Amino acid sequence: MKETKHKNIFVNGAIPAEKIAADIQKHADKTGIGAHSIFLGQVRADEKEKGKVVAIEYTAYEEMAQEKMHAIRESLFAKHDLSCMHVHHSLGAVKAGEICLFVFVSSPHRAAAIKACEELVEAIKFELPVWGKEILDTEQSVWKENR
Amino acid sequence: MQIEVLFFGSLKDITGEASLLLADAKDTDTVQEQLQKRYPALAAAKYFTALNKEMITANKTLREGDTVALMPPFSGG
Repeated sequence: MKETKHKNIFVNGAIPAEKIAADIQKHADKTGIGAHSIFLGQVRADEKEKGKVVAIEYTAYEEMAQEKMHAIRESLFAKHDLSCMHVHHSLGAVKAGEICLFVFVSSPHRAAAIKACEELVEAIKFELPVWGKEILDTEQSVWKENR
Repeated sequence: MQIEVLFFGSLKDITGEASLLLADAKDTDTVQEQLQKRYPALAAAKYFTALNKEMITANKTLREGDTVALMPPFSGG
């Protein structure tokens, strides 16, 4: 069930909790799957020097990010015994407390899904050309930095 | 020969625009020099360079229609 086509990972705004439930349900007929590993990124209301974070506004070099995501996907499928992999990343403003990243990895057995999910999240953080600007309650903003 | 330069994230705050066209840049080092003349604040900024969506770490010769992207450290997720 290897997926090779380019899929758009970007969605406008926050990812609703209902989508996550619906996507789990969509896998009910893929009975070769024995494990799902899901990672959800949530916008944190950090206290910054200039104010408190109320939202993050995401922008991306979309064409490059899609190509890079395709390469990351291929390498993870080659390395782990996976059934499928889905990534959804927000663009535009996402408020504190809302979901901005939804990573969903499935495999016949748990170890592959758990390992691949962790590697995938790290790759998304450090290899995808995406930028977050933290919007503060003081109407100022600071560019986010990944750690 | 014309190439396109794209700016992302905090670099867009420095340049005030998302993209521009350069006419006389034979390689990526020349692009960097020309841009730093136009936007002195770029010299102090930390960024990666991509040529036609591929990251580069050394100087590359440019061809008509190439796209050079200047990208600050990523902060997605």
